[in-house]
Amino acid sequence: MLEDELKVSTRVIGNIAVIDLVGDVTTFAEAKINAAYQEMSQNGAQQILLNFRQNDYINSAGIAILIGIVTEVTRNDQKLAFSGLSPHFQKIFRMVGLSQYAKIYQDEQEALTDLQNAATA
Amino acid sequence: MHNGKTSIELVVPSILGYEIVARGAVATFAHFIGFDQARIEDLKTAVSEACINAIEHGNQLQPDLPVHITSSYDGHRFTVEVSDTGTKPFGTITEPKTIEEKLAGAASLRGMGIMLMAALADEFLVEPSAAPGNTVRLIWYQCEVAQP
Repeated sequence: MLEDELKVSTRVIGNIAVIDLVGDVTTFAEAKINAAYQEMSQNGAQQILLNFRQNDYINSAGIAILIGIVTEVTRNDQKLAFSGLSPHFQKIFRMVGLSQYAKIYQDEQEALTDLQNAATA
Repeated sequence: MHNGKTSIELVVPSILGYEIVARGAVATFAHFIGFDQARIEDLKTAVSEACINAIEHGNQLQPDLPVHITSSYDGHRFTVEVSDTGTKPFGTITEPKTIEEKLAGAASLRGMGIMLMAALADEFLVEPSAAPGNTVRLIWYQCEVAQP
């Protein structure tokens, strides 16, 4: 079922909280994504990387969830970034304005390197 | 490779998730015709959003109400029509709210679907159906066909 089409997991690399999103990001993803974000925030995360993998389907309801995360990140004075998006969804994220609030990296390694360099600069 | 005019039709229930069935069928049709992958990705997103609108708004998430999807290609123009059978008309299409308005709490976080359809298709229309309901029409002109 669609409710099971997204797997969300968290890990910490250096000072960066990574939230892995594997699968479809739709209205059914809201609880899982918000829970992962809250968990990382309560653990003191200041830099959060949403790492997308195998995301063939991200719809407007999924984008609304991500805009909600941007709202929280802004309120909590955190930094948010995205990685692993396909070229199509990179385009979509730019269209809706998400890229104004979170930098888009091609892959996780590029994101981690840049975020860690920025933190130590 | 396709030559001449052809079309497909599909009916799905008003259950979220069935838009994936519709987009898969339309994407496969576009692939048969020879669309390049980037344009197929645009089609998939736009068709998904049209179906979600029909399911959520037109048919008010009533599973028994069908959503009709028709896609045709005439050698020049690729058209997708998505019709709901509900009695709730779409509201007047207005300028979509910006992300700044959403972040400021001045607009719902939802509501990006129409903007995406308008941006990804060459032409985007919403009109009443002949029967009760709404029809969203998405058109792509001068379709780029991938080289074999």
